[in-house]
Amino acid sequence: MIKDVTSTKEKNAFLFCNEAIVRGALESDVKIVAFYPGSPVSEILDIFYQIADEFDIKIKIASNEKVALEIIAGASMGGQRSFTAMKSVGLNVASDTFFSLGYTGTNKGCVLLFADDPFCHSSQSEEDGRFFGPAAYIPMLEPTDPIEAKEMVKAAFEISEKFNSLVLIRTTTRINHQSTIVPINPLERSAFEKSSFRSYNRTFSTVGSVARDLKLKMLERIKKIEEEFENSPFNKIREGKGDIGIITSGISYNYIRESCIKLKINPSILKLGTTYPIPNKLVSNFIAKLKTLIVVEELSPYLEKHIKALAKEVNPTLKIIGKQSNHFSEAWEYNVPIVLGVLQKIYEIELDISYNQIIENANKLKSILPPRIPVFCPGCPHRATFWALQRAIGGNSKNIALMNDIGCYSMLLINAELYPKLHADDLLLAMGATLGVSSGVSLASEEKVISLIGDSTLFHAGLPGMVNISNNQEDVVVFVLDNSVTAMTGQQPNAGTGYGPGGKNKNKIIIEDMLRGMGFENVIIVDCFDTKNAITPIKNALNEKGPTIIISRGPCALWNDRNKRKRGEIIPHYYVDWEICRKCHTCMRDFYCPAISMESKYKEYKDKNEKLWKGYSSHISAELCDGCGVCSIVCPYTDSENPSDTDVIKLYKEGEES
Amino acid sequence: MIYSIITCGVGGQGLMLVSNIIGIACAEYEYNIRTAETHGLAQRSGSIYTHIRMSETEQIYSPLIPYGEADVMLAMEAIEALRNIEFLKSEGLIVLNDYIWHPVQETFNRVKEPKQTYITIDEIIQKLHEITNTIFKIDALKIANEAGNALASNVALLGFLANTENFPFTLDQLKPIVSQVVPKKAVDINIKALELGYNATSTG
Repeated sequence: MIKDVTSTKEKNAFLFCNEAIVRGALESDVKIVAFYPGSPVSEILDIFYQIADEFDIKIKIASNEKVALEIIAGASMGGQRSFTAMKSVGLNVASDTFFSLGYTGTNKGCVLLFADDPFCHSSQSEEDGRFFGPAAYIPMLEPTDPIEAKEMVKAAFEISEKFNSLVLIRTTTRINHQSTIVPINPLERSAFEKSSFRSYNRTFSTVGSVARDLKLKMLERIKKIEEEFENSPFNKIREGKGDIGIITSGISYNYIRESCIKLKINPSILKLGTTYPIPNKLVSNFIAKLKTLIVVEELSPYLEKHIKALAKEVNPTLKIIGKQSNHFSEAWEYNVPIVLGVLQKIYEIELDISYNQIIENANKLKSILPPRIPVFCPGCPHRATFWALQRAIGGNSKNIALMNDIGCYSMLLINAELYPKLHADDLLLAMGATLGVSSGVSLASEEKVISLIGDSTLFHAGLPGMVNISNNQEDVVVFVLDNSVTAMTGQQPNAGTGYGPGGKNKNKIIIEDMLRGMGFENVIIVDCFDTKNAITPIKNALNEKGPTIIISRGPCALWNDRNKRKRGEIIPHYYVDWEICRKCHTCMRDFYCPAISMESKYKEYKDKNEKLWKGYSSHISAELCDGCGVCSIVCPYTDSENPSDTDVIKLYKEGEES
Repeated sequence: MIYSIITCGVGGQGLMLVSNIIGIACAEYEYNIRTAETHGLAQRSGSIYTHIRMSETEQIYSPLIPYGEADVMLAMEAIEALRNIEFLKSEGLIVLNDYIWHPVQETFNRVKEPKQTYITIDEIIQKLHEITNTIFKIDALKIANEAGNALASNVALLGFLANTENFPFTLDQLKPIVSQVVPKKAVDINIKALELGYNATSTG
C-alpha cells in the first residue's frame, strides 16, 4: 500500500513489487525521476506521481523513453541521483542515447529499470533485453522477487556512483506484478538543493577520436565492475548434493526452489543477481566439478551460451541442459510445472501428479466457454470513431489498407472479427511505426492507406513520421485518435493533456496547430461522440488525394469518469424501452459495447402480451453504461437529436423506472 | 503447509482489494505470502486473476499456484471460475458469486446466430462439479446492496471465505484491515458486507 511506501517507520509491509522499487529509490534519496508509462512498470510512475511533492522529488512525464533516459542522465551529470523505469520496448526507443552513455558514463547515481514481458502480456514482442547490457557495456542486476528488487535499486545507485556508470535493473512482468512482505528500512531524505554542473569538472561528449579513447576506458571500467560482481551478495550459491548443478536468475529461481522441494532433490544452485558482467570466476568454479549443469532462464539462452563458452575452458565434458539441448523453450513464461517437468526427466523421478492431465481435463471442461477478450470500455471514444469509419468506408472495404499502432486502439486487432470492414489485422508494429509504414504501403500499392495513431503515441514517436508524410505529400489519411491522455497504461497525462504530475499546469500542445505548423493543409477535426455527423467528413477525406489528417476527438471514458466522480457529478446512463424495442439488434451487431447484452423478459411478462415480450431485446446495464449516448445514435428507432417518448434508447432521468 | 487461493473475475470487480486485505493480514500476523496479479491490458471487461499463496511456516517461492494446488477458488464471476479451473485442486473449495457477465464476443455470436443462447451459471456449475463437490454459490450483489453499496460484493465474498475451514484469519482479525484499506466513507458499508458475507448461506 502506498502509505507503506512512504512510511517513516521500519516495518515489514505487504508491498507490490513496483511499490517496493519506488521505496528502494526513496531510501536511496533519489531526487529526479522521469518516465514514459508502459506496462508492467506504469505503476512506478503512478506512485511517484502521487508522492513526488511530499518528498520534494522532481518528476517528469517525458514524451518518450529516450527523452526520459536523457532527463535522468542529464540530472545525474548535473549532480543529482536519478531514476527511470520503462518497458522492454521502451529501452529500444531509448537505445541510441543508451549506447552513448556507456562511453560517456554518468556522475551521480543513475539507474534505469527495464521490464521484459515474457508471454507478451502487454507488449508487441517478447524480446530479451538482457542483451542490452553487454551490447552497451552497462552493468545489469536482475532480482528474483520484490524484496531483492528493492535492495537492488539501492545497490544500483551505489554501483553507479562508484563506477560513474548508468546501471540497469532487469525485471520481468511476473516480478513486477507480484506482492510479498518486504522489509521497510529507515528513510533518510535530504532536502533538494541545486548542484553545480561545472563544479564536477567532467565532460560527457563522445565522437570520433574521443569515442575511441572512451571505448578503452569503458572496457577497463566494465572489467573492474566484473571483479566487483565476483563478490556481489546478489549472486548466491546454495550448496547441495550430487554432481548435477543449476544456474539461474530472476523469477526462474523461485520455480526451481519449489520444484526441488516437490521432487525432494537437493542440487547445488547458483542464482545470479548480476547478469552483466557475468562473474566468470564464480561461474567457472561452480561448474568445474559438475557432470551435469541445468541452466534455467526465460526467453533467450543468454546465460546458457556464455556458460557454454566458459565450460569449454574449465569443464569440457560438462553436459549442459537448457534451451540448446531442447529441454526448455525460448518462448513464453515458465512456471513450476514447466521447470519441474525438466528436473523430473533429468533425475528420472516419477510423480503421482500429472500437470498435463490436469490441463487436458480442464481444457475439456472449458470448451463450453465464450472467449473474453479485452474490448473498448463503455463510453470509449475509439468505439464511436470506428463505428463512423466503418460507415464511411461502406462498400469500399477492399480498396483500403489499415495501418494500426500502439495504444488502446490496438485492441482493434484482437477484436478484428467485430470490425470486418476495417481490416483490423493489416498491420501493427511499434510505437509510431504506422506513419512511416503507411508512406511505404501507399508508395507500393493501390489501396487507400488509412493510418491510426493516438495522441500520446504521436508525441512519443510519431513526429518524424508525420514530418515525412507532410514533406513528401504522401497519399495517406491519418487518424489522430485524441482522447487527451495516455489511456492504455492507466490514463497518465501527456503533452496534450494540459496538466502534469500534482495537477500542475503544463504548456498544452495543440495537436492541430502543431500539424498545421508541419505543413498539413488538410486538417479536419471531428467530435467522435457526434458519431453520425462524423461519417461525411471521413468519407470526403478518404476520397482526397494527398495527406489528410482527421483528428477524432473525445476523452478517454475511464479518465473522464474519474474526473466526473471527483467533481461529484453523476455519470448518466441510457436504457432500452422494452415495450418498443424492435429487437433488430443493430446496437449489438454494429457497436459491441460491453454494457449492452441480449435479454428476454418473456417469462415475466408473457401473461400481459405474449407477442410483445417474445424474443430477445437489447439490454443496457445501468452499472456499466457510461452515458456516452452513441448507442442511441446507432439505434435506427431513436432520434438522438430530438429525444422523445417514442425513442427505443432513452437517457435515464433520476427517479424514473428503467 | 501452503494455503493457496485463486481469485478470478472481470476487470473492475475489485480482486486487488481482496488480495491486499489478505496480504496485510499476513504482514500483521507474520505469515509468508506471495501473490501474482494481472494488471495492464485487462483493465475493464477483460479476464483477471490473482494467485495468493500463504503459509505460517513455509517459505513460498513461486508466486503462481501450480496446476491443481489451489485450496480455494474465490470467483467474482461464473465464466471466469471455469476459465481458471486448472488451478483448483480436486475437491477444493469454490466460493462462487452468483453472477455471470456475458462477454461482448458472446453477444456478438448470438446476434450472428439467433438460435444460440447465453451460457448459464448452472451449466458452468455442472462442469465445476467434475472437479469438486464443494461449491458455495453466494449472491454477493444482494449482500453488498444490503450493506449499502453494490461495489462491496468482493468484501462480502471474502467474509464468506473467512467462515470456511482452514482460512487462516478470523473475522475479527480481518475487520481492522478492511477499515484500513477501503476509503474512509466506505468503511461501515464494507465492514457490514464482511459480516453479512460471513453469515451468508449458499444459494445452491
